[in-house]
Amino acid sequence: MKRAERHRAPATTLVALFAVLPIVYLALLSVTRTGAPPRVLPAEWRLDAWRFLLSGRGEMLRSLWVSLALSAAVALSSAPLGFVAARYVAFHRHRRLLLFFAYMPFVLSPVILGTCMLFFYIRAGLSGSLAGVFLAQTVFTFGFSIVFFLSFWNREKLDLEDLVATLGGTRPQFYRLVLLPISRDALRTGMFQIFLLSWFQYGLTILIGEGGVRTLPVLVYAHVAEANPLFAAAAGMLLVLPPLALLAMTRRPPLGSL
Amino acid sequence: MTAFLEVEELSKSFGSEPVLDRLSFFVRPKDTLSILGRSGSGKTTLLKVIAGLLSADCGRIRLSGQDLQDRPPQQRRTVYLTQETLLFPHLDVEENVAFGLRLRRRPEKEIWVVVQTLLESLELADHRRKMPQQLSGGQRQRVAFGRALAVKPALLLLDEPFSSLDAETRASMQQLFQRIAREQGMTALFVTHSLKEALLMGDAIALLHGGRLKTYASEREFIEDPQSGVGAEVSFWRSIEGAQE
Repeated sequence: MKRAERHRAPATTLVALFAVLPIVYLALLSVTRTGAPPRVLPAEWRLDAWRFLLSGRGEMLRSLWVSLALSAAVALSSAPLGFVAARYVAFHRHRRLLLFFAYMPFVLSPVILGTCMLFFYIRAGLSGSLAGVFLAQTVFTFGFSIVFFLSFWNREKLDLEDLVATLGGTRPQFYRLVLLPISRDALRTGMFQIFLLSWFQYGLTILIGEGGVRTLPVLVYAHVAEANPLFAAAAGMLLVLPPLALLAMTRRPPLGSL
Repeated sequence: MTAFLEVEELSKSFGSEPVLDRLSFFVRPKDTLSILGRSGSGKTTLLKVIAGLLSADCGRIRLSGQDLQDRPPQQRRTVYLTQETLLFPHLDVEENVAFGLRLRRRPEKEIWVVVQTLLESLELADHRRKMPQQLSGGQRQRVAFGRALAVKPALLLLDEPFSSLDAETRASMQQLFQRIAREQGMTALFVTHSLKEALLMGDAIALLHGGRLKTYASEREFIEDPQSGVGAEVSFWRSIEGAQE
């Protein structure tokens, strides 16, 4: 047996444990009461949080829908915008400068970006609203989207466009028959990653949303602040399940590079 | 015999750097003109200007008596084949070859007949369902060639099409090109940096150097011109031969 093969099984087990254990523990926390510290294992089964969640009362289900709608809207707007903008940046003679601007949101971090823009959002009447949070998250993920799609735009894509032209094809035909099919995987991956960025966003949401836009991360932190681990864990499970379901539904995990 | 492609006083600069400097030449119908030139001599620029992918600063290009200046690439009836074989990665061999015909919305039956004939002729019939990444370099080049021929271009522009192939595949592709060019009565511009390939592929030959194009009345004239590099090549092989004796 080769050395690499000998280490494959333990490595796989270790990775699986790291990936699965926190989720299992979170699921366990959402249906049990652990008792006083230092005890970490469950003491008794409690289904209150899930019963409350499924009854439709309270905020959890509403927060789930708000988060889903917000993240889907951000991914659907930011990915195509970034895809098109990345083409412009990739072949621009001031590519480095434009790329520097695209990186700015990461360098600043979402919270600092939100703080810088808060005055604008207040004056525009967007603070505390879902539209404001959507705009703030789109601005943040737009930079990510440009950086993400930049490597897609290389010399070969321009050559393909030229080739279609000399074969008699118009630009719309190139977009429909060539560009869209060859960029489908990249767009899918980009959308998924932008969805995740928005899905787990807390700082920007609480700052621009002023606590009024109750997405799932905001709710989880609220339950943690209330020292309510049962509800915090149930809301945490709701936060983890949609991305896992998305991963499971796709043939290949949309996490790779372009 | 009248000229099929006529280029007159064609110039192109990038910024302050002239790449093509008042080029004039012609190609007879069904002929292949080989253009020999070093890397960076403007060979690709020349082909792209003729294809309409780059605009000329001045000069005229006429194909079959028609001015091409104001025509977009789609209406020039030229197909440009790049050095790196460019296939549509999401389409199989058959659909790559059929691509130009589908753009023209030709009837399905016509597409099928043209594509099958070309696949047979290019010895690709057994590979019709393969994706580009499953093909060898030579097979990929044949698919690109078939795709260009399918739309029956008036002029084929070949930009060092075999330069990335190994010597054996390159030789077989050169023979294939010559056979098909003869069978289909193709008019082509074939640019290369290989002296041997330029001599082998062209019915006529020209040298692109310092932005100027020098055309030769005969192969003999080309061989005797010190600028062509043939003399230096012959001396090199003679010196090798001498060293072995």
